[in-house]
Amino acid sequence: MPSERRVLQAKPFQLWDRVFYGVAKAAGYSSVVLVVAILFFLGQSAWPAFEQQGVLEFIFGTGWDTSIDPPTMHIGPMLWGSLLLAAVGVAISVPMAISIAYFIEFLAPKPVAKIATIIVDLLAAIPSIVIGLWGLIVLSPVAAGWGELLNDSLGFIPIFANTAENFLRTPFIASIVIAVMIVPIISSVTREIFSQIDQDLIKGALALGGTKESVLRKVILPTSAGGIIGGTLLALGRAMGETVAIFFVLNLSYNEFNFFNILEPQGGAIASLILSKFSEAGPEEVNALLAAGVVLFVVTLIINSIASYIVAKAQPWRKN
Amino acid sequence: MSSLDLKPRPKSAEPWSKLPGGLKQRILIASTVPTLVSLAVMFGMQLDFMAVLFTTFLPLQLLAGGWVGFTASGKRGVTDGLLVVVTFFFSAFVLVLLASVLYSVLFYGAGAISPHFIYQNNVYVTATTGLEIGGVGHAILGTLILVGISTVITVPLGVITAVYLTETRDKGRGFIRTLLQAMSGLPSIVAGLFIYSMLIVSGLSTQIGIMGALALIPLMLPTVSRVAEESLRLVPAELRNGALALGAPAWRAFFMVTLPAARSGIVTAVLLGIARIIGETAPLILVTVVGDSTNLNPLDGPIATLPTYMYNALIFGYDVSIQRAWGAALMLLLVVGIIFAAARIAVRPVGAQKKKKVKK
Repeated sequence: MPSERRVLQAKPFQLWDRVFYGVAKAAGYSSVVLVVAILFFLGQSAWPAFEQQGVLEFIFGTGWDTSIDPPTMHIGPMLWGSLLLAAVGVAISVPMAISIAYFIEFLAPKPVAKIATIIVDLLAAIPSIVIGLWGLIVLSPVAAGWGELLNDSLGFIPIFANTAENFLRTPFIASIVIAVMIVPIISSVTREIFSQIDQDLIKGALALGGTKESVLRKVILPTSAGGIIGGTLLALGRAMGETVAIFFVLNLSYNEFNFFNILEPQGGAIASLILSKFSEAGPEEVNALLAAGVVLFVVTLIINSIASYIVAKAQPWRKN
Repeated sequence: MSSLDLKPRPKSAEPWSKLPGGLKQRILIASTVPTLVSLAVMFGMQLDFMAVLFTTFLPLQLLAGGWVGFTASGKRGVTDGLLVVVTFFFSAFVLVLLASVLYSVLFYGAGAISPHFIYQNNVYVTATTGLEIGGVGHAILGTLILVGISTVITVPLGVITAVYLTETRDKGRGFIRTLLQAMSGLPSIVAGLFIYSMLIVSGLSTQIGIMGALALIPLMLPTVSRVAEESLRLVPAELRNGALALGAPAWRAFFMVTLPAARSGIVTAVLLGIARIIGETAPLILVTVVGDSTNLNPLDGPIATLPTYMYNALIFGYDVSIQRAWGAALMLLLVVGIIFAAARIAVRPVGAQKKKKVKK
């Protein structure tokens, strides 16, 4: 029998336990180090460009010309283009994603729901360059036809105006490609939230005489709104950072804003700008591209932080 | 005893399972007539498919849905019918788009693939060389090498981060979790720029394979740690507490009880992490040079991966090179599929007796 008194200790007192917890803590904080390192090194290399162009001018100005001295390198149209593409992509994909989540969760018979789930999950695993290839070869010609159709029938609305007589490489097509990419993200978040809704709520509403539609509108959507919004913002962040797929299906215009004419073959995307200019860039231009990367990173970081905050708030039953 | 009757209820005793008379016929009419009318309009008037879809089919189908809903349960049923139609329409639209992606990869990819396409490299191939020679063997190896290096570094880091989030009671966990969530949206090109600015601009290294592997780490880490955290969280607290109550130190309790219990979840985490990075193109374009020959050394020289191979083929833009890109896309999906299948087979639950023997 041990003679010393045993003490109940809340802290790890064994050497190996201390090592275990120490390693875990170090790994946990490594992600902080990683983010700080990303900001530091990107910021350090990008600073000369910010200094030379002026921060506000760099972010909101127009024009990208390295042949003149001093070179003009401003990303205003690209930043706006990224936001526009993401917004239109989200506008296209949210109704679809909610529909398919509702279809899988509440309407479809079990086997059909299973197959649909597999297809949607499979799509989430398809690399973006494959979707880019599909967008370039398969979708673009077809979607250009859709764009022409929209222009023919609704061309009097400024959004659908087109002056170029060419409907390829438009923000419209890029948005559809983005939508295909983010539908699986939004729908999987939505489906998860739908499946966690208290069944008693739904049954109670039905017992009180609710119909499918009124239950969806008054019970399901309000209880899951937070989760859906959060999932959408996550997808928005993803859409902002999409590079290769958009690079192939969008014509970049550096010199002027394309505010909302989604059928004009000119648009912008920061990530695609970086990719398209990178291979032939001199040191000064590389700095500017790194600065563009910093802007992109900060914007997506803000969007994602808001999103994860909303998602966490929307699942109060989750405890840490 | 006789009062307990376990026979199934006769069908006729379930009034709610019966549809009102004639409803089935009406549903049948409502789901076929709009399609037939639209087909007739499309072929009769030579209109575009999308135009017919939105101007003829959708209004008719909505009308039909509303009509069925009205006859089934009166005024309140109309919105129900509309809801069903709209949901089915959007779902079908999504599924068609997704099926189109899968079908085109399989169809065009199968046209480009041949045995030598899988094992040969690209040395004697130009943008316009036919499909008789050359392939993606070097790119498959490059993909496996780079993704392998990233996985070897990221998986321990990610899993231990998950351990930190679930096993410790540290105050910073909420912050780290939020940070990881935010990091999961890190644009892939920014990860590439990060490595470029840290290691290549400063002259520490040139554009070699290992840089690509490093650039993939920040992209993989959030996925691995989040999914691993979920799976560790699912391990019942009783198991953990039981081990601790038996006198095991925390680290042994974790390695011998919690980790084995969460094994399949951890493997899922690794798989999702691999799926996240295996198709990444942009960071690799920035920090590696795409090569044509087989290169097994990530520390020197150009190295190709399947995504960067596809990117180059698409940049060339010739019909043949686009065919090569389709072939590479199919190979990429096949590689993903094989990795997934192998890992699934490896963690198939084995008999409980086996585990007991190991413990002894």
